[in-house]
Parts: sequence; structure tokens; C-alpha cells
Amino acid sequence: MFDGLIDGYTQSILIFTGISVIAAYSFFAPFKTGQVSLGQAGFMAVGGYASAVLTQKFGLPFAAALPVAGLIAGVVGVVVGFPALRIKGIYLLLLTLGFGEIISVIALSWDYVGGAQGYRNIPFNPRTLDYVIGIVIVLVIFFGRLERSSLGRAMDSIHQDETAAEVMGIDVVRIKLLAFGLGAMIAGIAGALYAHQATYVDSTTFNIMLAVEILTFVVVGGGSTYWGPLVGAAVLSYLPEFLRALREWLELLPVAATNFFPMNRVYDFLHGFLDFENAKRLIVYGIILILMMIVRPDGLLTRDTIPRLPFARWKARHA
Amino acid sequence: MPEPCLAIESLSKRFGGFYALNDLRMEVARGHIHALIGPNGAGKTTFFNLVTGVLAADRGQITFEGEIVADARPSRRTLRGIARTFQNIRLFPHLTVLQTVMIGEHCRSYPSMWKALASAVLQRPFGEAREEGRMRDNALDLLAFFGLADKCDAKATDLPYGDQRKLEMARALATQPRLLLLDEPAAGMNPHETHELDELITRVRDRGVTIVLVEHDMRLVMDISDRITVLNFGTKIADGSPEEIQRNPAVIEAYLGEDVPL
Amino acid sequence: MIYQQLINGLMLGASYALVAIGYTLIFGVLNLLYFAHGEIFMVGAFVGLFLVVYAGANIYGALAGAMVACAVIGVLSVFVAIRPVPKDRPLAPLISTIGLTIVLQNLAVYFIGGQQLAFPETIRQTLYHVGPVTVSSTQIFILGVAIGLMILLWLFIERTKMGRGIRAVAENHETAALLGVDVNRIILITFIIGSGIAGIAGVLDGLKNSSISPFMGLGAAVKGLIVMLLGGLGNVPGAMVAGLMLGMIEILSAAYIGTTERDLFSFLILILILLFRPTGLFGTRTAEQR
Repeated sequence: MFDGLIDGYTQSILIFTGISVIAAYSFFAPFKTGQVSLGQAGFMAVGGYASAVLTQKFGLPFAAALPVAGLIAGVVGVVVGFPALRIKGIYLLLLTLGFGEIISVIALSWDYVGGAQGYRNIPFNPRTLDYVIGIVIVLVIFFGRLERSSLGRAMDSIHQDETAAEVMGIDVVRIKLLAFGLGAMIAGIAGALYAHQATYVDSTTFNIMLAVEILTFVVVGGGSTYWGPLVGAAVLSYLPEFLRALREWLELLPVAATNFFPMNRVYDFLHGFLDFENAKRLIVYGIILILMMIVRPDGLLTRDTIPRLPFARWKARHA
Repeated sequence: MPEPCLAIESLSKRFGGFYALNDLRMEVARGHIHALIGPNGAGKTTFFNLVTGVLAADRGQITFEGEIVADARPSRRTLRGIARTFQNIRLFPHLTVLQTVMIGEHCRSYPSMWKALASAVLQRPFGEAREEGRMRDNALDLLAFFGLADKCDAKATDLPYGDQRKLEMARALATQPRLLLLDEPAAGMNPHETHELDELITRVRDRGVTIVLVEHDMRLVMDISDRITVLNFGTKIADGSPEEIQRNPAVIEAYLGEDVPL
Repeated sequence: MIYQQLINGLMLGASYALVAIGYTLIFGVLNLLYFAHGEIFMVGAFVGLFLVVYAGANIYGALAGAMVACAVIGVLSVFVAIRPVPKDRPLAPLISTIGLTIVLQNLAVYFIGGQQLAFPETIRQTLYHVGPVTVSSTQIFILGVAIGLMILLWLFIERTKMGRGIRAVAENHETAALLGVDVNRIILITFIIGSGIAGIAGVLDGLKNSSISPFMGLGAAVKGLIVMLLGGLGNVPGAMVAGLMLGMIEILSAAYIGTTERDLFSFLILILILLFRPTGLFGTRTAEQR
């Protein structure tokens, strides 16, 4: 749909950012009930591989394969969700991490999905951007409504004091399973979208660093409000690209302005530092993460920041 | 004789070699305010944990309104009509006063989680679901009953201590219980607040809720209780009306002491 | 044949154990999953390599240099990424250590490139034949250093005053402080020891595999976490034994079942422990045991 409006490079940036946003929401769902999962990359793998198999080996069109892959990931999520019910904190982190690694190993050793060579020739989906934008919009609306609903409040109460919630009649078991399965399903959808954009996945595509990054998106964006995952994923996944763009803008500065000391030193330093090289940009990214946790550990957006934004003020006055 | 609200038979709970509750037998009559007293460590909070299902009993039987209670999960027991407050106040740290009470209402408004999900997703874009409005009104009524209505948007944990205890009661009442277990509701309250609590508890009972009260404040206990059970080291040592308990030598020896005005 | 595999298993296990020690020490004392520990392991390997290649150091110099460098980085990371971050939000310290991981890993990539580097031979290769077994001098050296280190550490933790301090802080910060223990100092010492040992482990690993890579930290991290859990959170002797066990299990399953499945075993063990014995084989030694 956007092919005439946006160039291919920008489209792929938007797609990549959009998939990151979807992955962030996949973490947000169980997190709302207090379940911190490092397994979302594993669920992405399930969805990605499932979708690849469904389209390539069973001939399903992508529009049908996507929801089915999501459902498969969701079912796997509920299965993993059962043992996760009575596990908390670092134990849950390790359980979900272990799950993700097991999926990787299965992908590595199962030849039906390519084994060590990976899954090649996944049918390319030219409308990925449309899907991504549509799904992001749906997710924002869904989680926004959830946040304002009684069920959303119930989830928050489970997060804040699980025993008290249970004693107040909240069906903790069912709700935690729902959240976990929902998160897995969303992750599966993200994985499927990725697979049909990159056309190649292997056992290292959906790895621990990805799982960790997804956690980072939500915590940095702000885990207590439904805009958090969107903002966190958008900012962090775009950040390396932003730094690269910054370097280009730097080059647009008039030569005269930067030729004298100390501006020339500053220019040289910034220009060299914002080098296209991945490693340097990632170093900056890591430093930013550390600084963020020192300065704003609750994330960029919290429940208090939302009401102060201009849009919210207008809405409150006109409700 | 109408059947008791709560009937306890041979209830026992061990932690290692130590009996928190040993072969307890007691009955709570409908519409009564029944106090459970005893020195610290006598097993009173354990009793509440067993009745609400937070802990599983090693032996014994709990019967509520004629039916045996065996649900493994506390949320099921709450659905049956048993609610409680906590000794060391367990309010949700990031919810407002109003939201806290509305949590209590959730299980009655949405007994089915799938309906709750559907309602969440299908609500009108810029309004609340009708159910939400109803829950809000109920919650405000309950808060008004406890004198907390004007603080409904404050953060629950920002309230003064006495108000937090009242909020816990409001939250428990929101689940529409027929049996309410209050764990030391007067702890830390000054005499004025305690007197107010006295009235509140009586009015709650008058709305049709049977109450079991664990308390150390003897004035409050003697004032409002219809019946008192005394525990010591997990065993029942006395059971009767306030007058009987005050005269019981075993109780006086174990617990009451001479400084408490009777 | 099986003896050969046992030796390999011990070597792998020793490597796992040394890394896990740092994880479990730090978790015991701070209740923090110090994600960057795997990268410390990697840094140690590279420092060792550079000392040998550019400073002409021998293996002992490399080991000592790596130990010191990593201990310093460990201390720095406390001041940069851990102390300034509020502990009451449980995920914030984790994220900042993740940031640290990214920084360290990419510093390595930046200075060295993304490729593997060959680790030079620093020990004269001799083969010894003991009955049916053939061991090389390198293997003896590695095992000797690793096991010697573990014994020293065990003695330190169990028998010295400072070791008691560490165990006290792992139990409960307030109680330890009341008993006169300087909690902050103990935390620093924990990082020094853990990081230093990881540095040595990195050099030993380079020696064993004859190569190192900037990405070796992540794999070590995952295995280190599994071993930490297997041995019991906060339990240093437990981590040592569990590490050796896991190494043996991996090598034996690789030999008799298949190499791609070997990791599967380790993760299955992880899941089983989590579900049925989360306190680990030997029990936890830390304040929070939910």
C-alpha cells in the first residue's frame, strides 16, 4: 500500500521497528500479571517456523498462515504457562530462558525445518508493512481497552500482590494462563511476520539476546502503561538507525562552521564516533540503557506521565 | 436450631513438629459476631488461612452454610461467600482507593474470565462498559459506608493507617460475602477510631454478614461479640458468651491478666 | 575411550564451574542476576591473549593479568551499573547489567573485530600415558589450575573470617550489618573474586580451545546460569560440583547420543530442576528463596 509513498529502505526500517513493537507487546501481556518471561524469542521462533512450514509446505496463503501460526504459538504458550504458574522471579526467568534455548536446539537438529542450514526460501510477503501497521494498531487499542477494564485491573492486582488478589476472588490461575498464552500468540505473530520478510530463519535468529532486548523494550518504555511497549520498542529499535542518521545530518553542517578549533575537534569526534560501524553504535546503545536505569528506572512513560500529556488533558476536559 | 454459618471439626495444622492448630472444634452461628482470642502465636491467623484456603489443613473439616469446604483455591472459597482482611494489611501498592474496592467486585461482576475479556475488548471507544459504571457506584457506596468516599482517587497506600484498615474491610465486603473474617482490624488504632470501628462492624453484621473477629483489644471484643472462642498454643481452652469467658479461670490465667478492665 | 571423555568432561565442567561461581556469589550476596558476567569471562580471555602475544608474557603472566583486569572491571561495574540503580524496582538492575553486557561485547568487537582469534600455545606440549588414558600437559595444567582455584576458594568461603562475612551477607544484609560486617565492602570483594576467577577461566578456555571469540561470553553465561541453579542459588561449593557434573553430562551425551542434542540435555535438566527441585541439588544460600 505504501509502495508509492515510502521508499524501500524506509519501509524495511518501519517493518523492523513495527515487529519490535509487536514483540514488545508479547512481553507486556504476561508482564501485566507479574510474569517476567525471557521466552518470547522462543515463541517467535515457534510462530516463524510454523508459518514458514504452513506456507511453503502446505501451500497456505500468508493471510491464513499468520493466525494459525499465532494460535500454535499461543497453545505452546499455555503449555509452558502451566509450570510457570507457581514459579517466580529469577526461577521464571531461567525457565523461560531454558524454553527459548530448547526451541533453538530443536530448530537446529530437526531437518524438517532445515536443521543446521536453517529454513530457506520462505515466501516473501510484499504486504508485510500493511500487516505490521494494522497489527500494531490493533494491539494498542486492545491493550488500551484492557488497561481500563476490570480484567486489566485484576491483572494489575495479581502483579502487585498475587495472594491478596486470589483471596479477593480473582481467578489467578486462569488469568495468568490467559496472559501467558496471549503473549506467546502475539510473539508467534511477530515471528511469522519476520520470517516472511527476511525469507530465512535458522536456530540463531530468535536467540537469547533478542529475548533480552524484548524485555528491555518494555522496561525502558515503561511497563506500567500500555503505551510503554510501543514507545520503548520504537525508540530502542530505531536508536541505532537514528544515530546513523545523526551522523548524516552532521555532515550537512556548513564547513565554515566546523573548521575552526574547537568545533573541528568536536566534529571529528562525533563524526568518527557515530561511524556506520555497528559495534560503536551498540556501545552507545548499551551506555544509554545503563543511564536510563539510573535516571529513570520506571521507564520513559509511567502512569503519572500520561495524564500530563496534552492529548490526555484535552480528553479529560471534553469527556 | 438453624444450622451454623461455619462449623469446624477436628481442624489441625502442623508446621514441622509444631502444632499451629490442634484438633479445633467450634461453631459460628449465623448473624453472630464471633471473636477468636488468644495470646500471640495461638493459631488464630493460621485458622483464617485454613478457612480461606491459603493453607491446606492436615486434618479436619470445614463446613460453611451446611456444605463441606474443600476447594483448593482461595478464589473459589471467596466465590462461595467467605472473605477476609489481613493482619498486616495487604493492599495493592499501586492502585487507588476506588480501584482497590473494585477489585473486590470483579469476581461477582465477571465470574467468567472470557466474559471479562469480551467486555474489556468490546467496550465503546470513549465510554465505560455499563458494568463498569455499576461497579463504580457499588464501590463508592461501600466507601461511603466507611467514610472514605472523598478519598476515592488517592493511592491506597497513601492513606493513614486506620483508613487503610477500613479500606481492607471495604474491599472484602465488595466480594459480597456471607462470612467475613477480620484479622486484628483494630490494631494500631486510637480509642476514637476503635469506637468507630465498633459501630462499623456492628452495622456490617446488621447487613446480614456473619463475622469472625480476631482481636487483642479486649474492650472491643467484649463489647460487640455474641460469642468468644479462646485459643492457646493451637488448642481451644474456652468457648462461650463474653460474660462466661471473663469468669473462666483458665482463660484468665492463660491470657487476660489483671490489668485489663472487665 | 571413556576415560578420555571423562577428562574432557572434567575440563568442560571445570570451565562451567568457574564461571558459575561468580554468578552464584553475586546472586547470593545481591539477589541480582549479573548478566554481564559472561562478558567478563570473555574479556579475561582477550586480556590473556594480548599479554601473551604483545607483551611476551608466559601463561602465568597471562592468568595473573587477566585476573587483575577482570577484577578491576568487576569493581568498576559495581560503581557504574549497580550502585547507582535503585534496587526496589526488580528489573532495573537487570537491564543495566544487560546494557553493560552490550557495551563490553561490542567494545571487544570494536577493538578486535567479530572474528575468532587464535590463542597461542604457551605450554610445551607433552603427552603423558597413564594406563589406558592419554593426557596432554595442557590438560593437566588447566585442570590443575581450575581445581586448585576451586579448593582455595572453598577454603576461603568456609574457613576464613571474610568468607563468613560473605555467607552472612548472603543470608541477610541487616543481620550481617548488625554483626559488624561491612556489607558494601563484602559486595565489592564478591565482585573482585567472582570476576577474577572468571578472567582466569577465560584464559584457560582459550588455552583449551586454542581460540577465542568476542561472542564466547553469551554461551558461557547461559551454561553458568544453569550450573548456578543446579548447584543451588548462592551456593558456591554447590556450583563447583554442579559445574563438573554438567560438563560430564554434556560430554558423555555428546559422545553417546549426538552432538547437536548435547545442549538439549542441559536445558532439560534446567527445566526439571526448576519444576521439581528449584533449590538446586545442594540447597540455596541466599536471603530470598521464593
